[in-house]
Amino acid sequence: MLFLNQLFRSRGNGYIRHFILVMIIAGFTSSCSNDKEASTGSKTGKTIITYWCSSNAHEIALARELVEAWNKGDHPVQVKMQPIPASQSSEEVLLAAIAGGTTPDICSNMWPGAMDEFVNAGGLVRLDQFPDFYDYNIERVPEVLMETFAASDGHYYQLPWKTNPTMIMYNKRMFRDAGIEELPRTYSEFLEAGAKLTQDRDGDGHIDQWLGYRNIKPIWWQRFFDYYTFYVAASGGLTLFDGDELVFENEASIAVFELFRQIYKNGYFPITEFTGDQFIQGNLAISITGPYAISHVEKFKPEGFEYDFFPVPVPDDHEGLLYTYGDHKNIAIFSTTEHPEETWEFAKYLISKQADLRLLELCSQIPIRKDLSIDPYFSEYFNQRTMMTKFAEQAILTRGVDGAAELKEIFDAISQEFEACAIFDARTPTESIHRAVERSKVIIEWNRAK
Amino acid sequence: MRGIKNLPLYLALTVGGMIFAYPFVWMFFATFKPEMEITGIGLWSADMSIDNYRLVMTKIPIARALLNSLFVSICVTASVLFWGSIVGYALARLKFLGRELILAVILFTMVIPFQITLIPMYILMVKFGWVDTYLSLIVPGMINSFGILLFRQFFRDVPQDLIDAARLDGCNEFQILFRIMWPLSKPVLITVGILAFMGSWNDVLWPLLVIRLETLMTMPQIVTLFAIGGQAEAQIGVQLAAATLLAAPIIILYSFFQKYFIESMASSGLKN
Amino acid sequence: MKSIMSRMKGEGFTGGLMSLPYIVYFSFFIAFPIGFSFILIFHKWNIITPMEWVGLRNFIRLFSDAQFFKAILNTLTFLVIHIPLQIIVALLLAVGLNQKIRFRGFFRSLYFMPVIVSGVVITIMWRQLYGYETGLLNMMLLQFGLDKIPWINHPTYAMPSIAIMATWKNVGLYVVLFLVGLQNIPGFLYEAANIDGAGPVQKFWYITLPALNNTMVLVMILSTIGGFSLFIEPFVMTGGGPMNSTLSAMLYIYNQAFYFGHMGYSATLGFFFACIVLLVILIQKKVVERD
Repeated sequence: MLFLNQLFRSRGNGYIRHFILVMIIAGFTSSCSNDKEASTGSKTGKTIITYWCSSNAHEIALARELVEAWNKGDHPVQVKMQPIPASQSSEEVLLAAIAGGTTPDICSNMWPGAMDEFVNAGGLVRLDQFPDFYDYNIERVPEVLMETFAASDGHYYQLPWKTNPTMIMYNKRMFRDAGIEELPRTYSEFLEAGAKLTQDRDGDGHIDQWLGYRNIKPIWWQRFFDYYTFYVAASGGLTLFDGDELVFENEASIAVFELFRQIYKNGYFPITEFTGDQFIQGNLAISITGPYAISHVEKFKPEGFEYDFFPVPVPDDHEGLLYTYGDHKNIAIFSTTEHPEETWEFAKYLISKQADLRLLELCSQIPIRKDLSIDPYFSEYFNQRTMMTKFAEQAILTRGVDGAAELKEIFDAISQEFEACAIFDARTPTESIHRAVERSKVIIEWNRAK
Repeated sequence: MRGIKNLPLYLALTVGGMIFAYPFVWMFFATFKPEMEITGIGLWSADMSIDNYRLVMTKIPIARALLNSLFVSICVTASVLFWGSIVGYALARLKFLGRELILAVILFTMVIPFQITLIPMYILMVKFGWVDTYLSLIVPGMINSFGILLFRQFFRDVPQDLIDAARLDGCNEFQILFRIMWPLSKPVLITVGILAFMGSWNDVLWPLLVIRLETLMTMPQIVTLFAIGGQAEAQIGVQLAAATLLAAPIIILYSFFQKYFIESMASSGLKN
Repeated sequence: MKSIMSRMKGEGFTGGLMSLPYIVYFSFFIAFPIGFSFILIFHKWNIITPMEWVGLRNFIRLFSDAQFFKAILNTLTFLVIHIPLQIIVALLLAVGLNQKIRFRGFFRSLYFMPVIVSGVVITIMWRQLYGYETGLLNMMLLQFGLDKIPWINHPTYAMPSIAIMATWKNVGLYVVLFLVGLQNIPGFLYEAANIDGAGPVQKFWYITLPALNNTMVLVMILSTIGGFSLFIEPFVMTGGGPMNSTLSAMLYIYNQAFYFGHMGYSATLGFFFACIVLLVILIQKKVVERD
């Protein structure tokens, strides 16, 4: 601050002062640029590593608490945390950071869908080189799931951390008031509930209560929480790819597009952009979301607000298990780190039992642990929270996304068609799905052409 | 007489003024309202509080961002004035080989859309290792073609006698520039200064690309990230509070130096 | 001592020395980026893996990229709405302010306020005004017994809404420019017209408008350049939707580069788009100067 004052004062007469001013500026800027290196160096005698966490408030609170506890303990490295500087998506930031060599040492918001790209760029540290990698993960991660986290070279670059099964959160009082006794399980029941729940409460001729709402901005990852969630459920656990082949041009996709087309056509979801949280304000009956919503609702809900969750509805003729989209977020160490061993120690700390319990308590998110429902360490937590038990049970029946490098663009293509067909009713579902697949093929062809 | 005749005019101008001012006033008051009442048209609410500001302060390092922005904008402004006046002086008062060429190049670069250079510039910053340093925010803005032209234009109108007299006194060209020209150039210094400052202060796209470290972010950048990222938790009040904090410094400066602001910005169009 | 030195080295040396900063700046931050972008055009590159030569394939892709042409079209739509609106509103306010009135300075600084405030603030604020269900504008419409308008949620309205917002933000600057233009009109022209018995409308049409021709050109070119770089408004407000109706060319280029990592392709898009910008400005200049 003192410096700035001087800078103001020295503006005036005399050219020597101007030269000095410029020298100071030059000196200050270069000293600032060294700031970063100095802090990662050994100023306090301890090494400092940087940790990026997700930018939502609950995970920041968790990261802050864990980092503070870590820094108090006797560890060779100190950790500095900051939320990932994401605007529309974390992946765009990480990609640019890898290019710029400005990645942190460790990040806990790694979306498996983008891993291939990062691995190909040599941006990540291979984690199975650490001798205790498997020890840790065999104890924690179900074997079937573990394989899905391997990169295309067979090695592991991500530490499985948490999953968030997507379910339908609903406002109990609104369902009661609308006379809905049984929770909707099929598309017809879901649409029926929509008809009952979408109302004009104050009778001014304008609808002011809806079944639900989705952000209609054409941002690729928004489709995880409408199209993709319903697609995974309707298809009985398919993803977009089977090996290298696109498989989503099928009955399930068409049914999902048709469902949302009905929803928007009948006004059960408004075509709008809400800026406040309308579910908590009691204007929306449902929200398609993960367990993290519990922390959010608990923090902001008005008195007497009752809510619960039910599984994602499926087409009327659906048979078999109820799958859903599981929003996995994992931990990765970046190859820019100068302290891989120490960072690995911190990574293990982030997935320790204590940390996992805090993840449950602070963020209400599900750590990937096969013994979650039987381990007595967690049983007290789940005994008090039936909603979280639902998620823990659903977690077994989840599907993530495929690890294809073009996935963002494919979801972008789906997003375009979802908007055209489901929201604005400009194309039929069959046509739209076909166009999305064709566009995806073009994208893949372009990206893989030599 | 005239007062009555002009009544409709005053009315129209006032309505116009309301259209420009009311959104700001509304936003300012909305930041003090509880979340549920924000969407009302009126300004007042029964329980006004500064909670939204307190929340913004705890959620993002906005004070640090303010200092970053101030530092960056002041460096850019000082540098644009310093280098701009040097080059402008050379182009206006000195004869040397290639002067006309440089002038033509400057004029030409002013019509090049920044769209072309955006991505290579980012890559240049990456190669220099300037990403996540102040250098990436300051150095690319250190010289401003338009500033050079404004200086050149102004210096051309300074009487040659003054310069000759100074030369006789043994001044070199730098001394002439800073001892003789600068004290005369208050208007052009203010104009170029304000333009450089405003341009740097309000820029969002460039910081979004080159700064990822929260402690180095500029104020518009951090507010943009806050408004579209997840940190605001879909609460309108805090977003508006962050926007208000971003607008405040400039509006305060503006209210003191309106005349200069308006003249500078207008000259950015006129002198072309 | 000094005078000997300066005489020895002479004006030529000092001049070169003094313009050296610009030459350095130019070579790093203008010449190099342009040259580099020219190289990028022929490559496929995601910044993190090595560049790959693709010849003219980026251009082939560009010409079959319907979304990009949609984005250019959107940007032109924006300009077609924004520029006339801006000129009309600015002219009206400027003529109003040019009368003999009190508080002229006050009104002028009021209209000018949005010009100086960051586009981010304006966009966050207008997002609240434009909301369909709870936005301030629609609340007002309801109060007057009118229907709500889906300002930014319908493909037909979204771009005009953004153009209105941009006009609101920039018009103050053009009011000032027009005011300067108006004050430069010699008073005797109006006096002569008075003698001929011309009414206010005739005076405006035959004296004021022609005299403002230069300002008009300026306003058009300035708002064209500004309009072509339309980015932050759709970026924050609509993300390019609904149905790509607010996807501006700059937003699309940004997305290609930083969402999807197609650096080479987006350089190609940037290059192509820059050519269009230059072309449009040249045409504008030609057309207006001929008048």
